[in-house]
Amino acid sequence: MARENDPPLLILTSLASGPKHGYALLLDIEDFAAVRLGPGTLYGAIGRLEERGLIEPVESSGRTRPYRLTASGSAALESALAELRTIVDEGTARLRAWARPGAAAARTVA
Amino acid sequence: MGETGRGRGTDGRVRLLRVYPAAWRARYGDELVALLEDLDGAARMSWRVRLDVVRAGLGERARVLVLGGGAPRERVRRGSVLVLYAWMLFVLGGFGVQKASEHWQAATPSGERTLPALGFDVLVVVAALGSVLVLLGVAVALPALAGLVRRGGWRTIRLPILVAVALSVSTVVATVGLAAWAHSLTAAARNGHDASYAGVFVGWVVLVAACLFAWAAAASATARRISFSLRQLRLEAGLAAATSAAMVVMTLAAAVWWGAVASAAPWFFEGRPAGAAASPLVANVIVPVAVMVCATALALAGATRALRALPALADGSG
Repeated sequence: MARENDPPLLILTSLASGPKHGYALLLDIEDFAAVRLGPGTLYGAIGRLEERGLIEPVESSGRTRPYRLTASGSAALESALAELRTIVDEGTARLRAWARPGAAAARTVA
Repeated sequence: MGETGRGRGTDGRVRLLRVYPAAWRARYGDELVALLEDLDGAARMSWRVRLDVVRAGLGERARVLVLGGGAPRERVRRGSVLVLYAWMLFVLGGFGVQKASEHWQAATPSGERTLPALGFDVLVVVAALGSVLVLLGVAVALPALAGLVRRGGWRTIRLPILVAVALSVSTVVATVGLAAWAHSLTAAARNGHDASYAGVFVGWVVLVAACLFAWAAAASATARRISFSLRQLRLEAGLAAATSAAMVVMTLAAAVWWGAVASAAPWFFEGRPAGAAASPLVANVIVPVAVMVCATALALAGATRALRALPALADGSG
């Protein structure tokens, strides 16, 4: 749902499996998140992540420069995933409670 | 960006990237063109891709406009200097309000002076506080300035500082002369009924404005050449934010004063007798208040740039 709105998280996640250049990032993100980022969106997020020191370019002779996670980037990804995990756990628990027998009647009363 | 081996399709992609700021293109332009080639090959770019690039490019331009672009240190420096320029502009507006408000108490019924007096007092007290904040900002930069002078950098900042000093001396001489002349005139003559005095007064305002902006330009030129420590940059950003907040308070206080006098004694603004029908919307108040509002908006933009660059400074990426 909201994954398209968080290109930095998608990029950090993609780079967690190793350095990649722009095109490889787009293919990987489409593969694991089913999200097709636009090229402008991708490079906007890359610029922001590099500015914050979360990713860095790898030496390259061609025009397609690969990027990799920095230590700060790895920590930021870990922290973002922990936050997401909290929401996932809470959402899952609430959904289970919602689906329990008798909960439908309580919802009607409320 | 490199120019070799480009076909018509690539030229089109390069043209599309003009929507980005030049500094951004210099850093990421080649990579983005290579990505666009990988995406569409020799085929025409899809509208989806074009729109995404244009939207992102305009976003980068807007970001540079708001944040100032460049490294975090540079953004703090530029943001703080913008606040300094805004303060100088604000001082000019403040002079105008001060001039337009002369003798407002005499024209306002005694029972209705409380609110305008409160607005005016807040304006005066916060103006003094704001001046102290600006001087503190200068004081924070003094050790770095002394270092620059010791390293022989005086010649790089000499010209703007000498121009500012010369304009300051001229302003002091002109102010003394104008004040002596004003004392020999009636209040009516001082307030626009003497054409020659009015002309010289406008010239004096221009001289004061030139003096203020010469000092701001000298500070800007100096700040470009000295290297601030992280602590000094944080202090400058904090002082810039506090100065901007002071300008917001002063603008509101001026509006309160204006509104309260307009309600209690609208005849004051047109210099008419008490009780006469008159409009408080006169140019000699509208213009300075508008200048104060514009200066406050500029200061807030500058302070925002400086403050938003601080987290990146803390990360050590500045």
